Formats: sequence, C-alpha cells, structure tokens
Amino acid sequence: MATEAMVRIGELTASRTPGDVLVSIGLGSCIGLALLDPPMTVAGLAHIMLPASPYTEADSPGKYADLAVPALVAEVERRGARRAHLEAVLVGGARMFSFNSGAGLDIGARNEVATREALADLEIPVRCAATGGTNGRTVRVLVEEAAVFVRESGTEPHELYRSRFALEPRES
Amino acid sequence: MPQLLSDIQLDALRELSNIGSGTAATSLSSLVGMPVDVSVPNAIALPLADAVDRAGPAEAEVTAVALPVFGEFDALVLIVMNQPTVDTVCELLGVPTDDEMAASALGEVGNILGGAYLGALATMLGGTVEPRPPELVRDMLGAILASALLASGEDNLALLLESTLRVNGRECSPSFMFVPSAGGLGDILSRLGLGA
Repeated sequence: MATEAMVRIGELTASRTPGDVLVSIGLGSCIGLALLDPPMTVAGLAHIMLPASPYTEADSPGKYADLAVPALVAEVERRGARRAHLEAVLVGGARMFSFNSGAGLDIGARNEVATREALADLEIPVRCAATGGTNGRTVRVLVEEAAVFVRESGTEPHELYRSRFALEPRES
Repeated sequence: MPQLLSDIQLDALRELSNIGSGTAATSLSSLVGMPVDVSVPNAIALPLADAVDRAGPAEAEVTAVALPVFGEFDALVLIVMNQPTVDTVCELLGVPTDDEMAASALGEVGNILGGAYLGALATMLGGTVEPRPPELVRDMLGAILASALLASGEDNLALLLESTLRVNGRECSPSFMFVPSAGGLGDILSRLGLGA
C-alpha cells in the first residue's frame, strides 16, 4: 500500500521508500518542484510559494524558490541521491486571477523563473514542466517509478513525466 | 514578518465580518426572495498552510467570485460557492447552470453581494473603497485560496475572515472570505482604534 505524503504550501520533503507518493494539492501560483534520482530511487517535492526570500535564512526554506531549491537538493542527497543523477520537473505557476498580472505581480511566472534559475545554478536539468495557464493543479510524485502525475482542475490525472532511467514497474 | 493579533483585535475583525455578511445576506434575500441566515463568522489567523487546510478540502472544485479592492484599504473579497450552491443560485435566478449566461449571472451576484459586504465595511471603517470588476474563477479551493493569500503580500501569517450565508430550506451557502493585504490589515485595525 502506497503512502501518500502531503507536502503543504511552503513545505518540502524527500523519500527513498519504494511505494511512497509525494503529493501537493491545489497548486495555483505556487510551484511544485519534483527532484528525481531514478537509479537511487530517491525523490523529493517542494511546494514553493514565492520567488525570493526577504531574509538570508528563513524559518522554513521551502517557501522561497531561492532557498527551497538548494534545501530540497540537500534533502534528497541526505537520502542517498547523487547530484549528477538529478532530474527536475516543474508543476504549477498558474495565474489564477488576472489582477495579479498588473505591475509585474504575476507571482506564478516569477516563481517559475526563480526556480529555473536556482536549478540552473546547481546544473540540474529541467526535464519537463506543466506550468503557467490559469488552472490549479495537483502533483503526485511516485518515488519508485521516478514518475510525475498531474491533475489539472476539471480534468483527469495524467502522467506528465517518467524518467527513462526508472526501474521497471512492478507487477501489482 | 510574523504578525500576531490579540483576541480583542480578532473579535473586532470578526464583528466587522459579521456586519459585512449581514448586509450581504439582506441583499441576497431580496435578490432571491427568500429568507437568508448568516453563520457566526470565523476569524482565522494562522500560518498560511494551516489557513488553507482550515478553509476546506484543497482539491474540491469550487466557483469563486473574486473582488479586488483598492482605495483606502487594499483587500480581496472572495465569494466561494460549491456546485449545489451554484445550481441553486442559477435556478433561483432562472438561468441554466451550463449556460454562458450562468457565468455572467454568478459574477453579477458576486458583485452585488461583495458590494454590499464592502459597503458595510467601508461605512464601519469610515472610508471609501473601489472594488474592481469581479472575476469568476472555477478551480480547486486550495489553488484559489493560496494564490489569493499570496497575492495579498503576506507570506507568513494568513488572516481570513470567513462567514457563510444560507438560503432557508435550500442547498445554497455561499461563503465570504475577506483577505486584507499585508498593509491593509494594519490600516483596518488602526481605523477600529486597535492599531499596534
């Protein structure tokens, strides 16, 4: 039986337990950042709220893209992931309300840019993204399968990404 | 920066929300020609993730009318309706739910209720508010709420004033959520004579 670990807004977590599923529900302007190390069967998920931290050290680094990316990398590495294996998948960053978009306030787009920049600094490739638009999304990261599923508001869940380095799926 | 509110401040905000939703209930009642009750308002001041959890199931599909407010205090009013509420409102107004008219009718209902709510608040606070045109969003509750709270500029403690209207004997319970901006909250409190 798979365990679903909820990653709430501003939180981040990682797992190396086969069968674990990391979930962020209702991503609007937030970014769900999944990091996968398929050969080591480690995955992590961060539910990022805002692009940049106002402080150099925040009480919860998961909130801000600039701090969440290195913090999530450290978290998956602590569970045995290798930096060179890491693959990133981005979900979210929608523009839920059009009045957010005035005066450079499109938080969703800024979140995506900041997350991609922080990943580029660490030379982690973004393999796939379901970002932008105006719909909320739910993301599920399957640790063992190194796969990412997305459900967009009003639609059925679908497989967004499955690493080609993933282990063969088990018979259930 | 974490902002802690005293019980007195929370009580005052709850009362503010009560007056706003009471006025909105009157206008909903005259709109649909039926009696409308108002729930005891909730003043939720919690870390953002907890506030979103408290508001309801994050993945539930809801229809929300968002009214951004600019002027003497910046805020956002959300009127959140579940599907039975949407169906009932459409039926009472004589608009088919799946029609394009439904969206514009719901937006207009949101505008009327939100306008009544805000008008009462403005009178109470002694200022003027300018609501922008309403925006109708149909999406997951968590995505709508988290985005609204983040747009308010607050990234730590979320303040949410919530109250629900109930049309007597019908499956119809639109919820009001009043989200002041980070700066707007201080403004509102000092207008109530409860500033820090």
